[in-house]
Amino acid sequence: MSRALLLASLMLLTWACTSPPSADKKEKSGKTVICLLPKKKGVPYFTSCSVGAEAASKDLGDVELRYDGPTDGSAEKAAEMIEKWTAKGVDVIAVSCNDPGALASAMRAARAKGVKVVTWDADADADTREFFVNQATPEQIGFGLVDTMAKDLGDASGEVAIVTASLTAANQNEWIKHMKIRMAKYPNLRLVAVKPSNEDQKLAFDTTRDLMGAYPNLRGVFAISSVAFPGAAEAIKQAGKSGKVLVTGLATPNDMKAFVKDGTVTSVLLWKTEDLGYLTVEVGRALAKGELKAGATEFESRRLGKVKIAGDNVLLGDPMVFTKDNIDQFDF
Amino acid sequence: MLAVTLVTVKCVNPGFYEPTNLANLGVQLVPFAIMTVGMTLVVLVREIDVSIGSLAGVVSAVLGLAATQDHWNLGTGMAVALAVATGTLVGVVNGCLVALMRLPSIIVTLAMMAVLKGAGQILLDGKWVSSLPLDLRAIAAGGVPIWVGLAVIAGAYAMLTLHPWGWRLRAVGSHPEAAAKVGLPLRRLKILSFTLMGFLTAVATVVSVPQLSVVESGFGSGWELFVITCVVLGGVSISGGKGTLFGALLGVAVMGTMRSVLVYLKLGDQAVYWERAIQGGLILVAAVADRIIALRKSQVTTRETV
Repeated sequence: MSRALLLASLMLLTWACTSPPSADKKEKSGKTVICLLPKKKGVPYFTSCSVGAEAASKDLGDVELRYDGPTDGSAEKAAEMIEKWTAKGVDVIAVSCNDPGALASAMRAARAKGVKVVTWDADADADTREFFVNQATPEQIGFGLVDTMAKDLGDASGEVAIVTASLTAANQNEWIKHMKIRMAKYPNLRLVAVKPSNEDQKLAFDTTRDLMGAYPNLRGVFAISSVAFPGAAEAIKQAGKSGKVLVTGLATPNDMKAFVKDGTVTSVLLWKTEDLGYLTVEVGRALAKGELKAGATEFESRRLGKVKIAGDNVLLGDPMVFTKDNIDQFDF
Repeated sequence: MLAVTLVTVKCVNPGFYEPTNLANLGVQLVPFAIMTVGMTLVVLVREIDVSIGSLAGVVSAVLGLAATQDHWNLGTGMAVALAVATGTLVGVVNGCLVALMRLPSIIVTLAMMAVLKGAGQILLDGKWVSSLPLDLRAIAAGGVPIWVGLAVIAGAYAMLTLHPWGWRLRAVGSHPEAAAKVGLPLRRLKILSFTLMGFLTAVATVVSVPQLSVVESGFGSGWELFVITCVVLGGVSISGGKGTLFGALLGVAVMGTMRSVLVYLKLGDQAVYWERAIQGGLILVAAVADRIIALRKSQVTTRETV
């Protein structure tokens, strides 16, 4: 018992030491202070986003960017940071939300104090932020996947199959819906099967192998979960069908680099992470300056030109396609 | 049951019987066959182990991290040894908690499942281990997994039928009090079962991970359910004591081919939500058929004796 008490007090002590008392006064630098919060700091994906954000703040000139986030991805620490920034009186907080429930009260409190709050990369409850900088809608992803496959196949014809996450995964189901809509544009492209992989790479591997056996004319596989993608690619590679059966999906370039280089994977889809960071900073600044208001349908970006706004979602645009020609330029 | 499935698929899609597919199927089933052997031992002594899926995850993480250059870089031999040691150790811990502390195995292994899941996530830290060394990949190439599987099955068969451990395990499962009275080492036998379960889970993981190019934290998820279903489907009594290795392995064959067959039946992209139901329905049909045959048999024997 006493040991537990000692442990608890020790933990309390370390906690007290790591969170310094916050200065409760507004900082004055004349610049718009924008705080960019990633889900997890130190992850290549978010680091790549921050590079774009840094570029934006340099281009804009009147922005002071602070990029910081929990190194362990914990929602509690993220909430603490939002509270700290609110107390310091920054102008904008842009949140990639790792847990809407845990961050909601901190985000609402920030808004109540006059801080402009936006989300990027991962959205939160609608009343906790003004805009969401949305990197990709299900429609963009679904259409992007089908268009990429059609292009890689050359003649946009043949049997294709989908290896998805689980049958209950909301994201993937939404993508599949839009993929089917897009396939109507390619009458010779025939979807023969949709199979779950239950976030199990081995199952994705086995299923892809079975699909190739069951459908000898299969020409393409959409492996639409991060775990299914390498599993499906490995099955195709081991069957000696690299280049004959195409496979595409969403992943970070680093994860699929080896498969792209050996020719198993022709194209990998993902949004332009740097542009996501760039656009987020621009949207934050425009909000703080009053240049962007609720109800707007378009936003002028320096780097991306005109981007659409659907409701309170600022849309980044079509996803990026990584191929063996450009994949080496990306490191995340 | 297996026969019906196999004939149906023969009619619908003879491509299923291509030699390469059958070989693939064999390699695909081996890890599950190996774990099913372990689970049979555990269920025979009236216990259960639901931690094996998470254990496979941890073992795969250890194996991947230890073998790759940019992580622990211990070399393939050492990595395999460490992986097998991890699995065995967890088995020993499970066995000791169940046998020495007299805790229900469902609680012990359920808790272990959570612990191992966490451990696996900590080890991998949300990242993938890629670029597994070629000598590790070679383990899964060719017929190696199949030979390992056959060796495990032969060993377990010998143990269950030739060695006294076989009937002792059954005795402990069917009537623990009686078994204890005649002086059987109840605790040691249970620890032995769990230890072998852990060991075999690690072996199954070692022959299965190198088939893939990437180790990630989802490895092994749901395996415990699959394996337990195989064992029960194979006629091993969940209340202990009864059941054969052969039956359990037949269960693996049914469950494993079923998954594959469902792809080969070409049910189309609309059928995807039906597949679980079809799978479950087939299992029910199998169980009922099994029961009817057993009843007929017993009627025949009673008539004969009368």
